[in-house]
Parts: sequence; structure tokens; C-alpha cells
Amino acid sequence: MNADLFLTWVRSTGLSIATGIFVLGTLWRLFEIYTMGRKKDLAVPRHRTGASGLHTMFRRSVPPPGMFKRSPTSYVAGYVFHFGLFVIVFLFAQHIKLIQELTGLSWPNLPAQFIDATAVVTLATMLLVLVERINKPVKRFLSTFGDYAAWVLTLLPVLTGFLVTKHLLLSYTWMLALHILSAELLLIFIPFTKLIHVFTLWGSRWYNGDVNGRKGVAT
Amino acid sequence: MSASLQKGISVLKEVIDAPIASYFSSCVHCGLCAEACLFYTETGDAKYTPIYKLEPLRRVYQQEYTLLGRFAKLLGLSKPVTDAELEEWKPLVYDSCTMCGRCSLVCPVGNDIVYMVRRLREGMAISGHAPEGLVGASQRAVEIGSPMGIRLPAVKAQMKHVQADTGIEIPLDVVGAEYLVLMSSMEIINFPEYLAAIARIMKQAGKSWTLCSEAFEATNSGIQIGVSDIAKVLVQRIVDGAEKLKVKTVISPECGHAYTALRWEGPNLVGKPFTFNVLHILEVLDGFRNQGRLKTSGFEETKLTFHDPCQLVRRGGVIEEPRRLLNLVAKNYVETSDPGKMNWCCGGGGGVSAIEEAQELRFEAFKIKKTQLEQTGAKTLVTACANCRIVLEEGLEHYKMDIPVVGLTETIAKYLVEVP
Amino acid sequence: MSISNDIEFKSAMSDLSRAGQRLVAARFAENVLALSGDARVKGVINSAKRTDLTDDELAAAFQSAKTASVESFTQCGHECDWNDQAGHFVAEAALASVKPTEPGANPAWDAAMHARMARTCETIATGQGTDNAEATAQYRILAEFLNV
Repeated sequence: MNADLFLTWVRSTGLSIATGIFVLGTLWRLFEIYTMGRKKDLAVPRHRTGASGLHTMFRRSVPPPGMFKRSPTSYVAGYVFHFGLFVIVFLFAQHIKLIQELTGLSWPNLPAQFIDATAVVTLATMLLVLVERINKPVKRFLSTFGDYAAWVLTLLPVLTGFLVTKHLLLSYTWMLALHILSAELLLIFIPFTKLIHVFTLWGSRWYNGDVNGRKGVAT
Repeated sequence: MSASLQKGISVLKEVIDAPIASYFSSCVHCGLCAEACLFYTETGDAKYTPIYKLEPLRRVYQQEYTLLGRFAKLLGLSKPVTDAELEEWKPLVYDSCTMCGRCSLVCPVGNDIVYMVRRLREGMAISGHAPEGLVGASQRAVEIGSPMGIRLPAVKAQMKHVQADTGIEIPLDVVGAEYLVLMSSMEIINFPEYLAAIARIMKQAGKSWTLCSEAFEATNSGIQIGVSDIAKVLVQRIVDGAEKLKVKTVISPECGHAYTALRWEGPNLVGKPFTFNVLHILEVLDGFRNQGRLKTSGFEETKLTFHDPCQLVRRGGVIEEPRRLLNLVAKNYVETSDPGKMNWCCGGGGGVSAIEEAQELRFEAFKIKKTQLEQTGAKTLVTACANCRIVLEEGLEHYKMDIPVVGLTETIAKYLVEVP
Repeated sequence: MSISNDIEFKSAMSDLSRAGQRLVAARFAENVLALSGDARVKGVINSAKRTDLTDDELAAAFQSAKTASVESFTQCGHECDWNDQAGHFVAEAALASVKPTEPGANPAWDAAMHARMARTCETIATGQGTDNAEATAQYRILAEFLNV
């Protein structure tokens, strides 16, 4: 298998398969989850401003009172790497170009050095997140193969992406192909692992905020 | 698979809905729920992590409601839920969970873990894996009318006692009264001061009220054990009583789960909206205060603090009322750390105080309340749930702390300006 | 002096000193002591009845009464045994006699009410209905105490 063929494959067939599975898989999972429905609540709700499903969708991103000090790393590292991923995926010039090719949409990018720095910070933070998962008793106790696999699947695109832009490790062609492949693997596995939380957390937070909001409790 | 296990799993399948599906799909194993749970924070034992308590339910969800899960089950690749596992989970789902709901408030992806525990208990109970103490309480609740075995003569004896104490006649079965007052067995047995306080406050406020001979019990053991059918029977009694006496409002007493059961789960259990209002006694009192019907004189001078009953505050939404009421009669009221909806559970709710085997764990979990109280330097602890009250007293006694625990309604009544 | 109703009863006791209230409260508790099987409660009552009780002994009695009282609560969800519950209220009556109070409090009245509740628990347990003569007995006890 030569590098060029491989690269062409991942860019075309591979991409189609991966995006296909990602889109169909995600749509299926969301359908599978949300069509289960829930019973209507017959109790008379309270109406307190600031207490609703919509509010909680966003407010839940803020650590509740007293929680930050209990696990500061969870919050800080969590935010940093998620934010880092977002910046790299959506604000890197090459990625925006790809999205434009696929959808026609585009927006301004951030300078390459900034993305570089973000990638380094993200990688370092993800390493910290893994160390935490292994060291902290509760996280270790809860962790399954799926958690570690998800970590690898998320790390590889960032790592290979960084290596590509820096022309490190393998030839540019190989590295780029591997980067695209790793992104495609991530896409394929998002619907079928905990990574689906990217989509379902909004629904979960909404339900939670709604149930509590009807009682007048802003969460 | 035994018949009862089959029933249990059937029930679990029935109770799983879109929210539960969403919650299980969203969990990223961050473990923050453990940091909110007093059973973990005070013991350091990771098995008390809230989301872990739900493992059997999660697998039922996966195996029954996800394509991949069903496929795996078909291929014999999935791990079935067994009687042995449910038995192993019994202390996790019951002994170490008071359904306080703190975990649901902190999960970053929004999981309502306490809701799922409540549902898992349905399957646990039907399959015969609920603790003996709760089984007994629920049986008594259904057959006798009270989880603690109180019958009407006992209620009448209490009424007589309170009549003598206050000089006020206690109304029974008065049709057309504005308020139907319910009591919890705990109050009937342990705290006659509650009824006395109600009598005096109602007299001053000039409001008509009544007890109901067929529905005096507010406690809902069905909720605690997790059998909706039992919970429904208990709520229906109250509905029947309230409709028969044509009252406008039913007052839920100082009992946490009674309020949750009646106000929030009630209409859903009986399948239709109520034709009357449901208010917690503190909501009623705060209403009176607002209308100027609560005339008090004098203040508690000692430093006092409030324990927020989980089912009332965090899970019930009655957050500010206790504070407004306390400020009416207290000069030196201080909040604990994490006050209001984030407050820490007494450790005995959700049926835990009825489980003998859980006592040692309960005392360990109590360390958080102990710390909170020590930090406030308070000399008196006020609360608004009869079960919290006893659990707190026991915890304080265990740690040799000399802080009296009193009920809020009774505290208000203490400072009432008596109308002759 | 004779006492024939609760108004006279309550006001006569509120005039007493704390020590006086303790002594009469102890007598109320003693009148229902047979309903309690807890030796600690008996010990507390015996201490509370003494006129020569030291502060340390009072503190010890208070601790003992508190423990007895807390341990005898009927737990939420447990089947109520009215005999046991009577014992709890006897402990409460004993506790009222020796607990620290603020000026203006009427612990002797509290003790009397708890003692009556203990008696009520007994009559519930024996199925005798809701009437009992504990109040009248207490009027007599108070009158005897005041006349001495």
C-alpha cells in the first residue's frame, strides 16, 4: 500500500464511510433514545424565574456551589481539553476549508501558532485527564475499557494532527493519512460509545432542569 | 431466571424512559457524583458512587433498548442481570442512598441520578430485593394505614392530649374546612408538639381546618421502598379523604417524603390532577406570615441554624420559606455551609433510618452534618422533617454533641401571641 | 392550696425556681416510672429528686437522660410498640426535669405533659381508650409539693 493511495482512500471512500456511519449512527441513537418518550407530569408546576430545562442546559456547565474545591482538576482539565478540541476542530484554517468543501459554510480562523499552542495544551491536559482517571479512586473504579478507548480515539486525531503540521515522525503523506484515518475512527465510534454525550448531554440537562424547574429549583 | 427476577426485570423495562436512556448514554464516568454524595465523601468507599448504584438498570437499558445491546444479547455476549447481583446491589440502592438528590444537581452532563435510583427500586422491590425494614413498613402502611402501625384510636389519644395541652378542640372530619391537616406517623408517635402548634397557629390565623379519620397519615412508604402501586394506594386514601371533606388545601406535615409523594408524585401515581391544592406546612405558614396572620412576639436569642430537609428544599422547592419564617422569630440565625438546595442530607431519609443494617453507615455519613454544625457554632438546630429530627438527634448523640434539635412549626408556635 | 385545672397548675409551677421545677418535674416522671424499663431513667429521677444535687451530678444526669431519650425514639418506618413509646416519654419527662433552660421556661410543665403522654401511650397499648387520670394525679402531686 503506498502513501498516496492510502491518503486518497481515506479522503474519499474512508471519509464517506465514516461520515455516513457518524451521521446515520448518531441520528439512530438519538432516535432510539428520545422516542422512548416520558410520561406527562400531572402535578401543578411552580414557576420560578431562572428554573427551567433551557437554563440548566447552559448553567450546568458551571460547577455547583461547593463542588469545585472537591475536584478542581475534573473541572479545570475538563474545560481546558474540551475547549481545546473545539478550537482546534473549528478554528483551524485547514479544518474550516474542509467544512466549506463539505457544506459551503465557513468562518474566520485563528492563527496557526495559536492552534499549535492549543494543541500542545490540549495534549498535555488530556494526559493529565488520563492520569487522573488512573489515580483517583472513584474514577478508576468506574472506568471501563470504553473509557480508555474513548480517550485514545479522542487523543489520536489531536496528536497526529499536531505531528502533521509540524512535519514530525513519518512522511507528510503518511502522517496526514493517519490523521484523517484517526479522525474517521473517532467519527465512527462517537454514536456507539460515551462520546455520544456530545449530543445527549443537552437532552439530559434539559430533562434535569425541567423536572427541577417545575418544582421551582434552579439547577 | 426465577419468576420474581423476571417480574423485576419486566418492571425495569417498563420504567425506562427517554430521560433514563439519555442519562445512561451521557455518563462519561467523571465521578463527580461521588463528590456530592455523603456516603462516599464520609467513607471514601468508591462503591457508593451514585451512578454505580445504577449498574443493573444500566445493563437492562443497554440490553433491551439499544440496537447494539440487543444484538450483543442475541449473540450471548452480554452479561445478564441476576438475582445474586440484585441482592449484592441491595445495600447500594437502599442502605447507602437516601434519595437526597444531591448527585442530580452536580452531574455535569445533567444526569438525574436520584430519579433513576427511584426507578431501580421498583425492580428491586418486585424481585424481592428490598430491605426487610421497608417491606414491613409498606405492608403496615397498606394494611393498617400507617407504616408504624398507628390506628385511629392512637390518633384520637393524641388529639385528646393536645386538646388538654392547648385548650383548643381538635377538629375531626369537618366537611368544608379550608385545610386538611395530615400528619406523619413520626409526629403522631414522637412529636405531639406538632399538632399542638398547628392548633394554636390555625386559631390565631382564623383558618378552618380538620383532621380526617380515614386519611391521617402522610408518610408514603411506597416511595421509599420503590413500589408505585403501594405509593398510589397511600396517595389515593388522601385524595379520597380530601374530596370527601371538600377541602381546598391539603397540608403536608413536617415529613420530607410525604411532600414529595403527595405534591410531586401524587397526581402521576393516581393518574389525574388533584382537585385540591397541596402545600407543605411551611408554605402555609409563610403564606400566613405574608398576609399578616402570623402574630409573633419575642425572639430566640441563642445562635441557631437550619438543616434543610432534602425532600422539602432541594427536591421540593420550598427553599426560602423556612428562612423567612426563622427570621421572624430568631435574632441570631446563621446558615450552614452549602445552605439551601445544596445542603447535605441527614443521612436517614429514603427509608435508610428504617434499615437496621444501615445504622453504622448512617453514623459515618453523619460526619458531614457534624462538621457543618461545628463550623456554625450554633447552639440549636432547627429543621422541618420529623425523620431528619430523630436522625439528627441520634447522630448528635453518637458524637456527643450537645445541640438540641427542634421543629420549625413548633418554634413558630412558641412565639405566637396568644389570642384568648 | 388545691389545684383543679391546668391554668392554675401551669401558673403555680412557673413561679418556682429552676431547682423547684426540677424537684416537682422529677415527681411527675416518677409517677409514670413504672412504664419505663430503663435503669438510666430511674437513676436520673433519683438524682433529680435530691435537694443536695451538685452541678456536676446535674450535668451527668442530663447526659444520661438525653441518651435514654434519643435511644428510645421509635424509628421512622418501624412498627410502633406503644409500651416502648411510653418508656420514651418517661425518659423525656426525666430529661425535662434536668435539662438546662432559659429563664421563663417551664420545664416542670413540659415534664408533666410528657408524663401524660407516657400514660396515654400505656392506655393505647392496653386498648383502654384515650382517657386517663394522669392530670388529676399531677395536680395532687404539685399540691403536696407546694404544701410541704
